[in-house]
Amino acid sequence: MQQTLKARPVQRREAADRRTLLATLAPYFLLFLIFGLLPILYSLYLGFHRWDGLSPIKSVGFQNYARVWTDPSFIKAVTNTLIIWLGSTVLTVTTAFVLAFLVNEYVVIWRTYFRMVFLLPLLVAPAVTAIIMRVLFSSDSGLINTFWGNLVGHPVYFDWFSSTVWIKPMIILMIVWRWTGWHFVIFLAGLQSVSGDLYEAARVDGATGRQVLARITIPLMLPTIAFSVITATIGGIQVFDEPFVLTNGTGGTDNAGLTLGMYLYNAAFRNFQFGLGSAVSYYVFILVAGFTLVYNALIRRSRENG
Amino acid sequence: MGSVPNQIQERPSAAPKMARPVRRGFMALLRNPRARTRLIVTLIVFLISLMFVFPLYWMLVLSTHTLQEVSAFPPPLLFGTALGDNLSRLLEAFSPLQAIWNSLLVAVPKTLGLVLISALAGYGFSRYARLTTAQWLLSAVLATLFFPPSLGLIPFFLEMKVFGWLNTFLPLIIPAMASAFGVIWMNTYISAAIPRELYEAAELDGAGPMTTFWRVVLPIIRPGLSALAVWTFIGTWNDFQIPLIILNDADKFTMPLALTTLSAMRSSDTPAIMLGTALGILPVFLIFAFLSRQFISGLTSGAVKS
Repeated sequence: MQQTLKARPVQRREAADRRTLLATLAPYFLLFLIFGLLPILYSLYLGFHRWDGLSPIKSVGFQNYARVWTDPSFIKAVTNTLIIWLGSTVLTVTTAFVLAFLVNEYVVIWRTYFRMVFLLPLLVAPAVTAIIMRVLFSSDSGLINTFWGNLVGHPVYFDWFSSTVWIKPMIILMIVWRWTGWHFVIFLAGLQSVSGDLYEAARVDGATGRQVLARITIPLMLPTIAFSVITATIGGIQVFDEPFVLTNGTGGTDNAGLTLGMYLYNAAFRNFQFGLGSAVSYYVFILVAGFTLVYNALIRRSRENG
Repeated sequence: MGSVPNQIQERPSAAPKMARPVRRGFMALLRNPRARTRLIVTLIVFLISLMFVFPLYWMLVLSTHTLQEVSAFPPPLLFGTALGDNLSRLLEAFSPLQAIWNSLLVAVPKTLGLVLISALAGYGFSRYARLTTAQWLLSAVLATLFFPPSLGLIPFFLEMKVFGWLNTFLPLIIPAMASAFGVIWMNTYISAAIPRELYEAAELDGAGPMTTFWRVVLPIIRPGLSALAVWTFIGTWNDFQIPLIILNDADKFTMPLALTTLSAMRSSDTPAIMLGTALGILPVFLIFAFLSRQFISGLTSGAVKS
């Protein structure tokens, strides 16, 4: 009894602190539980059921998860998403790194201009970017066809948006245009934080510019590059706005521009297959979580190694 | 209207110390091999940067030309005189003020709520970091970063239907106020900005935890709050998928929805579409023009965290 009495002020203090902590967290967690976690759990439940929103829910086990693989348009959506993800991630990260390296190394005038200019596309909504893209590549009066026509000497009316070949490159181009600036700023900040002493030491040792880049800059930048790649990956897998607006919601000729995000949307909000759509959303989750886990493991290992 | 991107580009020339090497004389510059490389690389990067601005510039140019001029060859590359005509044609199909108002009705309350809720939770996590409860709950918040937004999309829609919130702004405002990203960011920011001693001093002065939050913490973290606010506002302004699912009436459409509807309805009227698009992204560009520092600091602090 005496002991508890003695410990009481500390305990009371701790209990009061915990109460305050929970009070500060309450708004966030309340909203998250109602609007975040509940839908996510219900989505897991729906994935094992068949439901159109009207007739009674029917339990179907893993049928939804298996059935999508027999749907050619799902296979198409998976391949398209992987192509768009790979293409856009590689191009965005490379372009941004090269630009950041060049600006950091060689550009001494107009630095504010170069820091800002690549960010402008990031301000434009992806859906709105797609509208501008539709105008640029329009078949009858688009700038691209006009110049092409001038090059070959007769008018060109090429329909870019019905092409099964060009729709994916156009989506990739939009992602690269929009996101290069974001990665550029991250890389520029990373390059500027690399200590000048290291470069000085390397120059004293007679290292060439290429050696400095390969032995110092890139190794030191690896964590930043990895972060950049994982961010681009998570975004690339979920891409929806660009292909949706670019193909007017159709997925393009022969579904050449259909992505996983669009497949999910169509399943749920066009065909009212809520169960199937939920199963697809868990496939997307598995992809995103898998990539993130690999990234975390890599980061942890690189930290342990030095 | 064209003055917004120009303003951003002109700002660098106001920085005199950056421009000094140019004034020393162009020929002297060209004789120095190092300066020559710098000049050439700067020129190349400048040309690349034009490709990032060009679609936006071209959007402005087209919005000032007649339909005939837009499809003529060579295409117009400078501003025309048909802005007034295009505007009156645009206003027949589209109300920019309505769309701007709708977007503001969504983005302003959501931004305020998100910033406040994130700051409050970040404060709790930071001040009571030694409590195991805080450590557990913070890991829970971090874990939610694994969930792609599309994971609960279908049940979220059904939930909004049950709430009777479909075709209202509430689903775009209230649920999105809980942001794991915002909470983690504010936790990091507050932990770095507020020394422990400040809490002890506030307590000695008899200030309770909530008074401390309002009177001490919030004023100090104002730069972090405004950076989070700028990012949230621009992101919300550009949101497409959730508004697409939730809103049905055209007079409730937020900007990207209103613009994609316009571009689908009047697909042949390129000048009007481009004018509408320019008006639609103008508010975001204004914010960027005035708060670009907050925007960039938000971008980099989000990356440093990892």
